[in-house]
Amino acid sequence: MGVERVSEKQSTVAGTFPCRFRYFLKVFVLRHLTRWGFMKHLLTLLAFLSIISAARAQDVQPTKVEVWFPFQLIPNLTLYSSSPCSGFGFEWEATPLLYSFGINKQVSPWYSFIVDPTARFAGSIELTAAAQVFTTKLGNSYFAYSGHLMAYVPLIEWGEKLTLNLGAGVYHVADRSRVFKVAGISTLLGFVHFNIKHSPNPTTWIGSLEFRVF
Amino acid sequence: MDRFTGISGLLTRKRQLPVFALLIPVLFMLTGCSSYVQRIVTRSLSRIGDPIDPAPRMITTPILPNTDLAVSWVGHATVLIQIQDKIFITDPFFTGSIGMVVKRYIQPGLDPSLLTRVDFTLISHIHFDHFSYGSIEMLPKNGTLVIPLGALRYTPNFGFKAIRELKAWEVIEEDGVRITAVPVQHFSGRYGLDNAWMTDFGYTGYVIEYRGYAVFFAGDTGYHSELFKEIGRRFEIDLAIVPIAPGSSSGLGSRVHTSPLGALAVFKDVGATYMLPMHYRTMAYGSDSNLAEPIERLREVAADEGMLDSIVDLEIGEQRVLY
Repeated sequence: MGVERVSEKQSTVAGTFPCRFRYFLKVFVLRHLTRWGFMKHLLTLLAFLSIISAARAQDVQPTKVEVWFPFQLIPNLTLYSSSPCSGFGFEWEATPLLYSFGINKQVSPWYSFIVDPTARFAGSIELTAAAQVFTTKLGNSYFAYSGHLMAYVPLIEWGEKLTLNLGAGVYHVADRSRVFKVAGISTLLGFVHFNIKHSPNPTTWIGSLEFRVF
Repeated sequence: MDRFTGISGLLTRKRQLPVFALLIPVLFMLTGCSSYVQRIVTRSLSRIGDPIDPAPRMITTPILPNTDLAVSWVGHATVLIQIQDKIFITDPFFTGSIGMVVKRYIQPGLDPSLLTRVDFTLISHIHFDHFSYGSIEMLPKNGTLVIPLGALRYTPNFGFKAIRELKAWEVIEEDGVRITAVPVQHFSGRYGLDNAWMTDFGYTGYVIEYRGYAVFFAGDTGYHSELFKEIGRRFEIDLAIVPIAPGSSSGLGSRVHTSPLGALAVFKDVGATYMLPMHYRTMAYGSDSNLAEPIERLREVAADEGMLDSIVDLEIGEQRVLY
């Protein structure tokens, strides 16, 4: 018995870090890599990349829509805090209409779906429609959809470095519609938006990290 | 209820990890990160907090009296050209970084507030180091902004007197100045995705003609013998402003960038009297090990060919009266 206890202790002390590393490798990396859910995402990504690279390799110029569309599938990441639950969500958004007051007067200020980043961050008013999937810690998930009216005010370098985002959104979730005030910033060439959304009764906060690619 | 149970648990915490892992390559893809761009970004990020060196010289009198043709190198592709009473500036770049991540090494050699007027601001293409919104904002807007085909959709309402978008060989004439957009060999797009659909437009060179003087600004280009010989056939050029970096200093350069030897070939093809090398030293591209290497190499090859006297070898912030 005494010998067994010593050897158990020795193996625990000597193997703490490598054991944890092997455990991490086995559980987190291998298990996730071999799961169909992960592979499905990976294969989808590879399919998009191969479409683009194949088009280039064959010297066939892809259309604007063919290039633009896959990037619209990249979800925004949202965190929400409310009573009785809080959680995490994905959001996909589209722009049915945008009016740019910051773009030069020789081009149309109206845009629909494909929006040149400059037109948005140089100063614009945008109507967006979005769909969300929210999940709670308990594993329940909810569909939601929303509409937003946002204004983008350029702050630094015509908004390419920093834009102020202000607006309002109406969310429909769990058979209920709620109005949210929205404020935030856009940065990194208009690709990345941080927005905070607030609605009272019950107080709900939504923080979102949004990726806007055209 | 909008709650769904068929795939309930799809986004439970356990399965969020691989989704986040998936987002990392997507973010790289978003920024159009080739390994080349990644090297540039990595090198720039390592310099965050480092001071930017002052320019070796500063232009104190940007507009000179009684001058037929004067040229000043502000840094990178920014060149101030004076032909008699007309002032031109090419690809203005005065900000501390391009695209928020690539930091400049040396301050511009001109304080843009010293410019009381610019008759023509020429933009060769819409890459961040050539079409810098923050830099254009610093310039006086009492002139005309000249941009290549496709750039209008990327042009904020800066407030210039006029904006002219030119396709290859298109000409504008204003107040005796004739500017021709001439074809060069580069690539376009600004935000990564857009170079997929802007494959054969959105970049240009220019020939400026005024009162018997002609200046060729190549913008950013690789070497293409036929294009440059055609430019040489059509114009009698006094000064060719040609990029000599980035990339390898041997050979003629890459498809989209001329090396010093390639720049010299451009200079010979267009048949200019003088050549001003530019597009080097201001920033480190991923493959540049020594910022002075391109100009040193140019001096070597120009000396070998007996053309050293034709090279207008300027420091950043240096001004030269040619005529």
